[in-house]
This record gives sequence, structure tokens and C-alpha cells, in this order.
Amino acid sequence: MPAARHARLLPLAAALVLGLSYGAIAAPAAKNSCATCHARLTRSASALPSLQFREDVHRDLGFTCADCHGGDPTSDDQSQAMSPARGYRGVPTGAEVIARCAKCHSDAAFMHRFAPRQRVDQASEYASSVHGKRLATGDTQVATCASCHGAHGIRLVHDAKSPVFPTNVAATCGSCHSNPEHMKGYTLDSGAPLPTNQQAEYETSVHHEAMVTRNDLSAPTCNDCHGNHGAAPPGVGTVAAVCGTCHAVFAVRFDASVHKQVFDRGCAECHGNHAVKAASDRMLGTDQAALCGTCHSEGDNGFKAAIQMRAAIDKLKQGLDQAALLIARVKNAGIETSDQELQLGEAANRLTQARTEVHTFNPAPVDGVVKDGLGIVSRVEATGHSAEAELRFRRQGLAASLVAILLVVVALGLKIRQIDRRAGVSAPPAADKGGPAARA
Amino acid sequence: MLQRVVDWLDERLDLDDVRHFVGEKSVPVHVHKLWYYLGGVTLFLLGVQLATGILLLLYYRPSAEQAYESVQFIVTTVQFGWLVRNIHAWSANLLIATAFAHLFSVFLLKAYRKPRELTWVTGVVLLFLMLAFGFSGYLLPWNELSFFATKVGTSIAGALPLVGGFMLRLLRGGDDVTGATLSRFYGMHVAILPAVTTLFVGIHLLLVQRQGMSVPPSIERKLKPGDELPQMKFFPNYVLRDVVLWYVALALLAALAAFYPWELGQKADPFAPVPAGIRPEWYFLAMFQVLKLLPSHIFGIEGELVGVIGFSLAGLVLLLVPFLDRQTARGEPGRIFTVLAAIALVFMVAFTVYGYIAALQAGAAP
Repeated sequence: MPAARHARLLPLAAALVLGLSYGAIAAPAAKNSCATCHARLTRSASALPSLQFREDVHRDLGFTCADCHGGDPTSDDQSQAMSPARGYRGVPTGAEVIARCAKCHSDAAFMHRFAPRQRVDQASEYASSVHGKRLATGDTQVATCASCHGAHGIRLVHDAKSPVFPTNVAATCGSCHSNPEHMKGYTLDSGAPLPTNQQAEYETSVHHEAMVTRNDLSAPTCNDCHGNHGAAPPGVGTVAAVCGTCHAVFAVRFDASVHKQVFDRGCAECHGNHAVKAASDRMLGTDQAALCGTCHSEGDNGFKAAIQMRAAIDKLKQGLDQAALLIARVKNAGIETSDQELQLGEAANRLTQARTEVHTFNPAPVDGVVKDGLGIVSRVEATGHSAEAELRFRRQGLAASLVAILLVVVALGLKIRQIDRRAGVSAPPAADKGGPAARA
Repeated sequence: MLQRVVDWLDERLDLDDVRHFVGEKSVPVHVHKLWYYLGGVTLFLLGVQLATGILLLLYYRPSAEQAYESVQFIVTTVQFGWLVRNIHAWSANLLIATAFAHLFSVFLLKAYRKPRELTWVTGVVLLFLMLAFGFSGYLLPWNELSFFATKVGTSIAGALPLVGGFMLRLLRGGDDVTGATLSRFYGMHVAILPAVTTLFVGIHLLLVQRQGMSVPPSIERKLKPGDELPQMKFFPNYVLRDVVLWYVALALLAALAAFYPWELGQKADPFAPVPAGIRPEWYFLAMFQVLKLLPSHIFGIEGELVGVIGFSLAGLVLLLVPFLDRQTARGEPGRIFTVLAAIALVFMVAFTVYGYIAALQAGAAP
């Protein structure tokens, strides 16, 4: 490019740089004296909010302290900036928290600008919750928005550091519900003190294990059963419905069963509530480890049904184990068994179905499914036995062919000796003996 | 009856020359004569491959959708299909093992020296063809292990300078290993390679028959002037010994097929993650392991490229050994090439064992 052309472009470049610089100067960040002053405070309780707010989702979206607390953030004079005359509302407590959050979060048109798919009924749900109802009666100890979401370092719910991220929910609820001091005075409907061991129990449950060990975020935590904004304990008769949101087939079977009318605590009667353990076949039956004997006694129909259902399930399990061993054995011996493995998978599905049918507490449907499963197992076993027969045939055939080959080799060896002798083939000269091939 | 057939043929073809050749042909008898049989057993195994391969062709379907299922059908449903497939798989491995043993024995006995240079060259080409048979046949069952091993193997060809990209697409029939690769490997395995192999086996056998068996220089040097090595008639004395060994090989194949059936594994899934400890067949394992161990760059050149060029040069040197080993050509003991062969043998065994251990540690069954 010629130098003259460079010279012509220089003014244009200079104008562009100046223009950009002017733009940067002309649009400074809005003044926020709240953050400036609070960050300088030596008392951590006063300084912390401004530090925490740096990571707050609201700040990222352009909100400032004044949007919740009011006041005049453009003034450096504290008496002006925090003057009620300029709208300063101070630190909200109790119902004020709900009102301030709801100002935006219950306004569909407003929320649409930032999070169009977010619900706007949290405040009304909260009002229907145990927390909301108690707050309305003047109990300021109960949880409000900030108790769970935080006040100044609020993160999106799907942020793993958020206190309401699934893996953190139990600890967040536990921060109040596991604190005996905090929960003092709260009682159950029966009048008994409200327990504070829910979190500890939950942490021993199969649900917690699924979430923490297997990193399954769909596993339930407190809010999945109790709700979040509309938090309430599932009442009598609603437990099965709550469990049924995930364990749908079990809930349908249970709803149609005789126990639906009898079990006050629904599923929790056998499985517990917070400390739900992995279900096992040992729970079914009448021996010491089983649960049925807790209510039923020898001779009654439930006792008989428990024995019958457990026997059916054990029979299918045993059949499956034996068939699986047989198929593994022939597979190791080189027989192709992928069809049989598929069928065994199908029989294992029947076992799962039978365990589901147990929740009807009626032996007939359990027996029906077990019969299907045993049919599959017996077909697989028949194929396995044929495979074993085939293996025996192969080995016998091999032995016969090896004998035949050996006979031919011996005959050939004799023939070779005979013709060698006739032809006078001699051994190599003695001098050549002993030299390995590598020496050649 | 047989005599009448021979007479009938003799009347029309005049078999005197053949009869004379067979009657007069003899094999020298010395301490290293045992190594002569390796060529014969390799030829026998090639015949087994041909026969079992033809039988497998009757049921095998060369497409990504059906290949695995058709092999499954062969080993589960077809009468004696399991035997045919297992013998084909085991025989392929024994064939390559005996071909290597034959090559090393010929190398160490210096049987490649004048006038047998062409016999050596055709033999080395046949070994390369056997390796190509192994490489192409490995993919045909379209199982997980073979699919990913072929991906790795063809990508090594893609590392070649200048022609790498072309070679990669030529082998794969596209940028990736797909059904098109399977079709190509199938065509190569059942048509191209057998045709070329038949030609080279024909030339190799013709040269062996024409020139007779080589007597190792170490034996020749010990002969006093005027002494002659004892001879064994080729037919029937030598041929019958060959047949004994063939029967032993057959018995071994039958036992391996019955007691150690070749696994079929899982069907290849191009979208599945690469299984841990992926490895090629044992005869490529030393090469594979060396390529894995090379640093990413050697003197500024890509490590894999250096490895591929190194192995290509080694192959070329192997092919041209009769023309490079001047010591042996002059009738002197060719110690340099003996040492080279010993180093190559130790290198191959050591890296094959290392490759197996590495694959085991990475979680793959050997």
C-alpha cells in the first residue's frame, strides 16, 4: 500500500479512537455510594452485604442496593443517601422481605424482561405454606425468601453454589429444622415437639445416597416432598400421592389395595419417611427381618398372603440365578448366548414387575407375573442344557478326531521308517550335530 | 483304477518329465533340515484358510447392518459353523506365526543368498500379504474391538507423508470407518488378496521346486572336498513327513477350536466411546506399542510419522536383504545380518509382551 494512502487513512483512525474514548467517558457506570461506603466499613456485618452482592444474580442484571433498600446512591453524604425522605427503607424483616421480593417476582410483566419462564406465584404459594401462615400470625422466626435464597449473594437455582441447589437443600432446611434451639416451641398436630432429626435421617436414606453418591440430581430432597415456597408436610392420605409422583406404578397398586384404607402414613408405614432405605425382598414375609409380621399374625389372610408372595418371588429369583449361572458357563465355553442373555433380562424385568405387584398386597397378580418369568427362565434353561449337550458333542467329536489323527500319524511314521530303511536315508554327518540355527 | 487314470493322462499329456522330476527330486539331510518343514505347514494352513474362508462366504453378509449378525448366525445356528469359524480364526493366527518362523529360519540359515534372492523376495511379499489378510479379516465380524482397532490402524496409514490422506480415504472409503470400509475390506479379503497371493505362492513354489532346498553355509563349509550331503527323496520320504506335520497342525486347530473358541464380542457401535485398552491383533501389537510410546515430536517431526517411516524402511530392508547382505553373498559368515535378525526378534517379542501387559492394565482382556 502506498504511503500516501496511509496518510489519508490517519485522520479517520484518529477520529475513530477519539470517538470510542468519548463514548467511554460519556457513559460512566451509575454511581453507587452504598457499595463504596459499605466496602470501606471495618465492621464485617456492615461490609459483608456489599462484598456478597458482587456475586449476586441481581447485580449481574443491573439491580443495585437502592432497588431493595431505597435511598439515594448518588449522594456521598450518608444522611442524604440513607434519608427516609429519599426513599430509604432500611433492612427489611419478616413480612417486609416477602413484600420486597414479591414487588418484582410477582409482577409477570416485569419478570418477563429478565426471566420469561420463571413462575410469579412464589409469594402467594408462600402465604399458603406453614411458614407463611405462621408469619401472618406474627412469628418472625419462620423462614422467608432470604432464609433459603440468601439476601445479598443470591445465585440462580441451578448454580451449584446456591443454597437451594438440590444437593444443598437438605442443609439449607436443616439450618433451622435441625437446630433444637430454633425449633423450640414448635409442635406436631399431636402436640408432640417437632423433631429436629429430619436432616440426619435423610442423610441415611437411599434418596440422599442417590443424590450425593450417584450424583443423581433428580433424586428427592426436602422440597420434592414438602414443596418449596408452599412448604407443608404431606398429611395423612397424601403420602402415597407424594411418593407416587416418582414411584407412579407403586402408588397406583397401593391405591387399589386394602392397605390404602388401613395405613395412616401410606408408604411411610413400611418404608419410613426421611430415612427411606433401599427396598429389599427381606421386607416381605413373616420372618423376623420382614415387616408384614408387625401387624399380621399367623393364620390371618395377610400373613398367608405375605408367605405366598415371598415364596413366589424367591422362586423366580432362584430360577433366574441358576439360569444365569448355566448361561455364563456355556458362554465361557464359547457358545453364543446373546439371545439367552436378552431373555434373562426379560425374566429379570418380570421379577421387578412382581415386586411392584407386591404393593397390591394380593398374591394373585404376583403369581401371574412370576409364572411368566418362570416360563422364560425354563426356556432359557432348556437352551442352556442343549448348549451343554452340544459342548459334550464337540469334545467327544474332538477326541474321536484326535484319535483318528493320531492313528494316521503313527501309520505314517511307520511307513516313513519303512521307506527310509528301503531307500537308505542316513542321519546327517556327526560333525554337523549340535549347531543351532542361529549359528548358521 | 488309479493306474488306468494315470495311463489315460500319460497318453494325452506325456507325463514322463513330471515323473522324472518327482522321481529324481531329493532334499539334503542335515542337522537343520527340520526348518524346511515350516514352509510346508504354512502352505497347509493357507489351504485351510482358503477352504474355511469359502465355507464362511456362504453365510457371511458384508454390511455394517448384517455382518455381526451373520457371524453370530454362523456360530450359533449353522451346522458346524462354530467349527469352521473357529478354525478360520485360529488358523489365521497360526499361519502368521508359522510364516514369521519360516522367515526367521530362512533368514538365519542364509537361504536367501544367490541364487534364491527372488524366492526370498516373493516370500517376504507373501508375509506382507498374510498381514494384510489378517488386518482386513479382523474387521469383518464388525465387533467393537475390531472396529476401533481398524480405526487406529487406518489412522496410522493416514500419518504417511504426502500420500497419508489419500491412503486413509482409500482404505476407509471415506473419512471414517463405516460400512463402506467394511465393503472395501471384504473385497480386499476375499478377492484382491487371494488373487495376488495365488500368484505369489505359485511363483514361490515354482522357485522352490526349481532351485531345490538350500544347504546352510555353515553345513557347506564343514563338508570336505568331494564329500556330499546325504539326500532324502522328496517323494515320498519328505512329503510324508510334511503330511505328518500337517496332521499335527490339524489336530492342534481342532483342539483350539473346541477348547478356546474365538470370541465374537459386542457389535460395533460407531457412537460408543472407545473401549479401554484397545489393541490390534498380536502380530501388529509390537508396532502399535512402539507408535504409542514415541514422543509427540522427534527432531521437530511428528513422532507417529517417524515411527511409520521407520517401519516402512524396516520392511524395505527386509525385502532387499539378499541384495544388502554382501558378506553372505561373498561366501563369508554374514554376522551383521544374523545379529540384526536376533535384535529384530527380541524387539518384536519384547514389545508384543509389553503391548499385552499395557492392554491388560488398561482394562482389556488379552
